Amino acid sequence: MSITFKKNCVVFCDMAEGEDAESLLEWLQKHPKGKIDLSECSHLHPANLQVLMAAKCSIFARPKDELLAAWLDTALKTV
Amino acid sequence: MNPLLEQFLSESRESLQGIGEKLMQLEKDPASSELMTELFRFVHTLKGNSGLFDLPELTRVLHAGEDLMDAVRNGVVAYSPLLADRLLDAMDFVGMLCDEIEKHGSTNAKHIDNSVRLAADLRQLIVVVIVSSDEVACAVATPLQPQNSNPASQLPLADLSEEIRMTAYRAAVSGETLHWIEYSPSEECFFQGDDPFFQARQTPGILWGGIAARHVWPALAELDPFCCILDFTVLSTASLEELQEYYRYVPDQVRIIPVPGRFFILPHGDPNGGPVYEDFVADALGLLQSGNMVGLTRATRSMLELSNPDLWLSAALRWLLLVTEQEPENVVVQEVIIISLRTLTHPDWHELDASTPIQDGDAVTPRFKPAKQTPEVTALIAAQREVLSMPNDVAWLAGRLKSVAASLSGCLQAIVSTELVASMDVALNESLEQQTSVPLLRWLDSQFEQTPKADQPDTSDTIYMPETVAVPQADAAVKYGRRSEDAYVGPKSIKVDQAKIDRLMNLIGEMVVAKNALPYLAGRAETVFGVRELSREIKSQYAVINRIAEEMQDSIMQVRMMPVSFVFQRFPRLVRDTSNKLGKEVTLILEGEETEADKNVIESLGDPLVHIVRNSLDHGIEMPDVRRAQGKPAAGTIVIRATQEADRVVIEIRDDGKGIDPAVIKRLAYEKGIIDEERLERLTDQEAINLVFAAGFSTAEVVSDLSGRGVGMDVVRTAIEKVNGSIHLESENGKGTCIRLSLPLSMAVTNVMIVESNNQIFGVPMGIVVETVRIARADIRTIKKNQATVLRGRIVPLKSLNMLLGQHDPPKANEEDELAVLIVSLGGESVGIFVDDFRETVDIILKPMTGVLAGLSAYTGSALLGDGSVLMVLDMKEII
Repeated sequence: MSITFKKNCVVFCDMAEGEDAESLLEWLQKHPKGKIDLSECSHLHPANLQVLMAAKCSIFARPKDELLAAWLDTALKTV
Repeated sequence: MNPLLEQFLSESRESLQGIGEKLMQLEKDPASSELMTELFRFVHTLKGNSGLFDLPELTRVLHAGEDLMDAVRNGVVAYSPLLADRLLDAMDFVGMLCDEIEKHGSTNAKHIDNSVRLAADLRQLIVVVIVSSDEVACAVATPLQPQNSNPASQLPLADLSEEIRMTAYRAAVSGETLHWIEYSPSEECFFQGDDPFFQARQTPGILWGGIAARHVWPALAELDPFCCILDFTVLSTASLEELQEYYRYVPDQVRIIPVPGRFFILPHGDPNGGPVYEDFVADALGLLQSGNMVGLTRATRSMLELSNPDLWLSAALRWLLLVTEQEPENVVVQEVIIISLRTLTHPDWHELDASTPIQDGDAVTPRFKPAKQTPEVTALIAAQREVLSMPNDVAWLAGRLKSVAASLSGCLQAIVSTELVASMDVALNESLEQQTSVPLLRWLDSQFEQTPKADQPDTSDTIYMPETVAVPQADAAVKYGRRSEDAYVGPKSIKVDQAKIDRLMNLIGEMVVAKNALPYLAGRAETVFGVRELSREIKSQYAVINRIAEEMQDSIMQVRMMPVSFVFQRFPRLVRDTSNKLGKEVTLILEGEETEADKNVIESLGDPLVHIVRNSLDHGIEMPDVRRAQGKPAAGTIVIRATQEADRVVIEIRDDGKGIDPAVIKRLAYEKGIIDEERLERLTDQEAINLVFAAGFSTAEVVSDLSGRGVGMDVVRTAIEKVNGSIHLESENGKGTCIRLSLPLSMAVTNVMIVESNNQIFGVPMGIVVETVRIARADIRTIKKNQATVLRGRIVPLKSLNMLLGQHDPPKANEEDELAVLIVSLGGESVGIFVDDFRETVDIILKPMTGVLAGLSAYTGSALLGDGSVLMVLDMKEII
């Protein structure tokens, strides 16, 4: 699993596959204030991205991958 | 090129031809649903086949064609000549792509536009009726959108950060083209395994990328994460061709817009300020006009230092510095930036574009730059201009205008500026209406400079975008140069009915026989007529004809040859399915799939091989745990290997299973009454193993649906022997089994030995002949009415051919009282046959017995000999 659900935080690492989008959506519905840690993420499937965008959730850590970070900056609001 | 693609091309050509024919027939009989169905089937097949390959352009057009035909077939859309035209056009395009694939092995990405347009054309015909289907309408509407004069001016470039815009501007100044890509993936794209984000991220030459939602996000509870509503935007320095190639699978979801570099000069910031800038503007303009660049730079820098960097003013100044540094000679742009300081509004580069001639290198120019303008083209254009300048008051003005237009359109197509043709047509129509050549002349002047400067630097090629390609309805729609009158390049392979090849085979057989008559004739010329000269000449002619006939025979055999992969290809699946069912692990290894043999031989191999492989799987390979216990790898191996040995194909099926236990076979054979007790004692292990070929033999305790119904190996043997093959089985208990099938390469020619008996000649297939011996009458023993002799320490039973054929004459002996005995091998045993004499061996074309004679089982067939006599070929197994 490239997405790990913690108590109040979702940690993405490496390539986040599209299959995880459903569970991510469920988690975010249960934890509307949940934090998103993208620091170790190298790519995420747009299905996941859509969920993050729709949930308007707070990005706790931007990806270390600057290129990905630049893309995500256009779509997500960083806290 | 791989054989699959080759076959696809040859089939596509057939289908295309079929489509053309059906369309022609439909023209005469538009109501025929039968023709329509056939037409649909052609298009459907073609599309299905194209999906096997990486040919998105081809598949796209065919898919649209298929949808259209489906609509027509279901009566949703009526057949019309327009439909036929578009379909033919699309098929011409497909044909052209096929040619290209044949030449280069793949299609060029440059056809994307045409393929999108053709597909849209076809779909448009469906849409005309199904207006309610929004989805289709949308798909069509996009490429048909009215063309914006310059879509780049509408782009939200201001959203980009200054840093990125500056990078883009620098890239543009250094001669790179900038493209703005809007990528709107389809909603279902996730289900097709696409990752549009990844696709966008990997765009070549990417400078910046952005993601936006297509519409407002629904509440989380209603969100479907797998319905893609994201739009991607990318700014790239890659060329249009590269980008089109990159997005070739989704051209209808992508908009690529070229952006001139100066469009990025958009100062941003707090517009707080006032008339204090007026002085600077005046100074700067003065410096600029006097050409004092150093002064301008200095003034700008000091102004910049004095201002808050967040101000709109500072941003503009930074841009001014950059432009001065990058393009000091581009005064117009610098001036516009300076003047914009007065109003603190964005400079309108779009307006500048329209009012002033373009100076910077990256801009899209609406004008045809004479980069590819050869002296011939220049001369041609000059001539047309001259014609147009002539007085207008002549009766043939219309004809003259049209001829000028025709020349120009040919010329434009030759220099690959087809997109100009449409605008020329507009000018032509205007000219025709007004009865004056002025509009056309004006157009010519606007497109071509009167005196093109040879040394003019030209960095801009004529760029055209998917949106600007001729609108489908325009008369100037690009044709594909494949009209009916064009020379048709024939396909390299042809499909021939097998009956025709069989006929050819028969004819060459007769030819061989006729040829064989020549030596007889030569003999007669010498012995009967006494002309030796003639005899020799006939013989030399015979040698020539013989050579040609042999080559012909060889080539015809080649035609009938097929690789064994034809039968092998079903095994991977069979082994996989069967082993899964049985819970065994099996690895299948195929070798020598390219070995070729006659079609009939290959076809006859299929069923026996399936049988053998199933036997191996069912009885041979053990369960994984049993194998492990015996120290073998858990996965069993079955090797099917084909090799060619002289004029035979040898197929070996080897497994590393438990092998055959001779003791079990012996016991079972005895229990089933196949052998008696006495034989049971004498049987060697090899002989015992061969008992599996006996009719009605089965070792399996339980009859499964795979094998073990007692119709196994004897059927296999019969099938193999029917095509003159032989089968050999070796097995080592506990180690595995190996079955070798040996088959003739071709069944057309049989090698037989001619024997004489009771004044008749008979043929015996050489395959079973072991040797020919002469045995002294004294050496023949009679054991209980059966004759036998001892040959090299072994007892060989002897039979008389005459007796076997129901004649009672005794075999004739020669002067030394020896009898001619032909030793044949039948099922591994040798039998001696008394004949009167041996003759030569010949190659014959064996014709099976037909009609009333078909019931005679003593003969396998007959053949014509060179002297015209008929040779009956014996079926030894039947008569003994």
